[in-house]
Amino acid sequence: MTIVQQLVAGLGVPNFQVLIPEIIVLTTAIIVFILELFVKSRTLLTLISAVGLSLGALSILTISEGAITLYGLYIVDSFSLAFKFFLIIFTILAIINLQPYVEAKKTYYGEYYYLIIFSLLGSMIMVSSPNLVSFYIGLELMSVSTYILVGLWRRDYKSKEGAFKYLIMGGAGTAIISYAIALIYGKTGSFDFARVFNQIQDNADLATTAGLGLLIVGLALKASAVPFHFWTPDAYESAPTPITAFMASVSKIATYAVILRIMVEAFPLVNSVWSYGWAVLAAVSMVVGNFVALKQRNVKRMLAYSSIAHTGYILAALASPNGMGFTALIFYSLVYLFMALGGFILLSAFEKNGNWTNDLDDFKGLAKKHPIMALYMLIYMFSMLGIPPTVGFMGKFGVFMALISSNVWWLAVVLVITSIVSAGYYLRVVSYMYMYEPVKEGKFNLNPVEKFTVGFLAIMVLVIGIYPTVFWEISNILTSILVMNIGVR
Amino acid sequence: MTPEFVYAQFPIISISILIPLIAAAIVFFTSEKIAKQISIIASIIVFILSSYMLLTYDPSGYKIQFYEKYSWIPQFGINYEVGVDALSLTMVWLTAISFVVAFIWSTNIEKRIKEYFIAFLVLEAACIGVFVAWDLVAFYVFWEVMLIPMFLIIGVWGYAERIYAATKFFIYTFFGSLFLLIGVIGMYIYNYMENNVLSMSYFDLLKLSLPHNLEIIFFLLLALGFAIKVPMWPFHTWLPAAHVQAPTAGSVILAAVLLKMGTYGFVRFNLPWFPEASKYFMPVMFALGVIAIIYTAMMAIAQTHIKRLIAYSSVSHMGFVTIGTFALNTEGVNGAIITMISHGLTSGALFLAAGFIYERLHSYEMKDLGGMAKFVPVFATLFMISAMASAGLPGLSGFVGEFLALLGTFKVSILTASLAGLSLIVGAAYTLWLYKRTMFEEELLTEEEKKEYSKLKDLNTAELWSFLPLVVFMFVIGLYPKWWIELINNTTAFVLHKIVGG
Repeated sequence: MTIVQQLVAGLGVPNFQVLIPEIIVLTTAIIVFILELFVKSRTLLTLISAVGLSLGALSILTISEGAITLYGLYIVDSFSLAFKFFLIIFTILAIINLQPYVEAKKTYYGEYYYLIIFSLLGSMIMVSSPNLVSFYIGLELMSVSTYILVGLWRRDYKSKEGAFKYLIMGGAGTAIISYAIALIYGKTGSFDFARVFNQIQDNADLATTAGLGLLIVGLALKASAVPFHFWTPDAYESAPTPITAFMASVSKIATYAVILRIMVEAFPLVNSVWSYGWAVLAAVSMVVGNFVALKQRNVKRMLAYSSIAHTGYILAALASPNGMGFTALIFYSLVYLFMALGGFILLSAFEKNGNWTNDLDDFKGLAKKHPIMALYMLIYMFSMLGIPPTVGFMGKFGVFMALISSNVWWLAVVLVITSIVSAGYYLRVVSYMYMYEPVKEGKFNLNPVEKFTVGFLAIMVLVIGIYPTVFWEISNILTSILVMNIGVR
Repeated sequence: MTPEFVYAQFPIISISILIPLIAAAIVFFTSEKIAKQISIIASIIVFILSSYMLLTYDPSGYKIQFYEKYSWIPQFGINYEVGVDALSLTMVWLTAISFVVAFIWSTNIEKRIKEYFIAFLVLEAACIGVFVAWDLVAFYVFWEVMLIPMFLIIGVWGYAERIYAATKFFIYTFFGSLFLLIGVIGMYIYNYMENNVLSMSYFDLLKLSLPHNLEIIFFLLLALGFAIKVPMWPFHTWLPAAHVQAPTAGSVILAAVLLKMGTYGFVRFNLPWFPEASKYFMPVMFALGVIAIIYTAMMAIAQTHIKRLIAYSSVSHMGFVTIGTFALNTEGVNGAIITMISHGLTSGALFLAAGFIYERLHSYEMKDLGGMAKFVPVFATLFMISAMASAGLPGLSGFVGEFLALLGTFKVSILTASLAGLSLIVGAAYTLWLYKRTMFEEELLTEEEKKEYSKLKDLNTAELWSFLPLVVFMFVIGLYPKWWIELINNTTAFVLHKIVGG
């Protein structure tokens, strides 16, 4: 018996070993937390975080089959494992890009590292929840850590403002979700998704609808869908950019995943209610996100609004509550990680240049000064716009397929029209980079880590765009696992 | 009518797509000096390959030749499926020759040389891809990829208002493309519901017999995408802006190749997929075609800017392609296809001429020009031939296509044919006027200008070699159209088989 097995046996919790990734991540967070008190070396903290999380990611690969543990509060199936794997990998990418940024900006705080890891842990718990309580715990762990991360740059007024807004709005979201959970519990007598499903079946009475409606509102708020998006631009803009990258990719994707899980596993037979709700939210998110993004001159803020629009594109897949829709949602979520993190990390690398303000004018003539970086930015912009051969196209393609197969033509048309609107601002970045003369002086000192991250992600955006088969297959499998989970526990 | 598939001995089509991409990669990693040579060599190889295909193509029966098929995204039944019939092949050949011309012409480019040639090479690969793809996703990918380099070409190497023009071009086309995508996915889903088969293959979707209202809807969705690219009136407003602002080689490709994608789309997809809707919309298409022919020809007359004039004339010529296509008979469709090839050659040459004039006299405004003919005789001759071919002079390529298109139209609508035919006079008027105002009127020149003009250099070697192939083929098609018509006859029959029965 190995030590781990002995420990597990000692604890007496069935299937405890499937929690190893979480334990590793938690341990890493604690080690970093303690070390940070004594060690000044940022490189060491980065290294330990990266190594710890890499071990966590590797440990995921050792878990071969699904299991339920913690007496039904926690499920480790391929769906959660796959998402956790991506969440950890992208957290590592965000963390290793933190140091160059905070050093250049002289905003170093050791708390960054363990707060990010705690937030990651919250995300991991969220995607593994078959139960409204464990979901709620994960959500809060993730959210509270992120509130602090946004506000950590405490000498900056904007950072405080962003964090405050985020905290208040996020708090409201939390309150709404807890009320929703209470209503659902009151109706069904259980927090467990499977039991909720068994109790409700297809009976969408008032209490169920109210609970479900409030849950959707709360989740939409966390996913920054319009009209619950007001915290997003401020929080995104004011947070240190690598943190924004983390929020826009990892936290967002965990939220999409958990939305999918709750809807599919707890309320599969009342899908006509929630699919319509999500469709409306998706439509307004696309419209508002894109039109407001069009007005922005600050690229970071523009990307924040564009992320609202992407929330719309991704959640639009829920308007098609069937396998095709779920697969499209998973696929788009996974590939959006690459574009979102890449785009924000690129911005954070630019920001190290002293007089860089993320204003559109700063992008003027970038192609001349830094052709490779401009090319990467071009790839991200065209991917978010959804032009082949980038992966953004395949994401939208999947959503189109889902919508049209379910005859939700109106939403497909909204998607089309808002996509065209989005061309207005994505193209503007490209045209500023390529078609204007440089106006600002300044050098970009990208360190190897940043170069690697943005280059790797840009190449992946192209590679998955040209050969999406593997990611489609993953999304397909995850969908079938979700659907299989309905009502089985 | 089921086509026969003749598999390629070696993947000549994929190689034709890959060569420009490989060349682009080489250019990216090498010095500016050899970028031009590499691009020219790559384009010549592609041209040789396409000519080889053209000469070895078997026009008997309807066969998809040099066919290749590989699995791509099996979950959705999406394949990489390429091959050519005569329509594809002539378009590929036109693309190849246009790019040779564009690259040779571009040897004098000085600004951001590597990026320039990379953009054109990627564009060439995408353009070829559009014409050879039989899987709709592959088709759409190529169709959209084309937007990125063209956006940069207009926006980076264009003139003063280039960014506006590039953005307008992009957004307009993107708008149409997305509706096209919805239409294609709609067909795909319908096919799945009917036959329980996931397939994006052109031929599988061809087998569908759609209910009337669906046919109308899908026809319109696809038509919107194609009409913007053609461009048909009233979707043409992006074109003059794009042409005026684009660099010379960009205008050549835009006119010679990109516009053909729209007309190609109509002939390839709308006619065989939606025979009933095609008949249903015939009057509308005729009306739009005739409006394009007359209205934009009138607009062309009113222009003082050479490129804008040629741009409007392009819209007008595309009107002939539209009416020829929707005449829905052999003559009409043959005429449309030949007009597409011919317009590729003539508009390419005319834009080269505009570029030549601008490089010598630094103006596109006709009021600043005039009286050049005497001083640059070789150019004047080639320009004259191109202008005449464009105006539809018998013996040159323009005549054959427009004659057939009119003949086809005449059979179904005398009124449409008459209106379109009458506008040929307008066409001749603006072409001759263009020529007169740029080349003749020597008497209006001041002494000083005459002195200056006497120093003008005639075509240099690169310019001559850009012009020559275009002019030669204007004669080849004009004097011996039989070969071309025989080449495309069976393809036309296939395109029309659902409409005429059989």
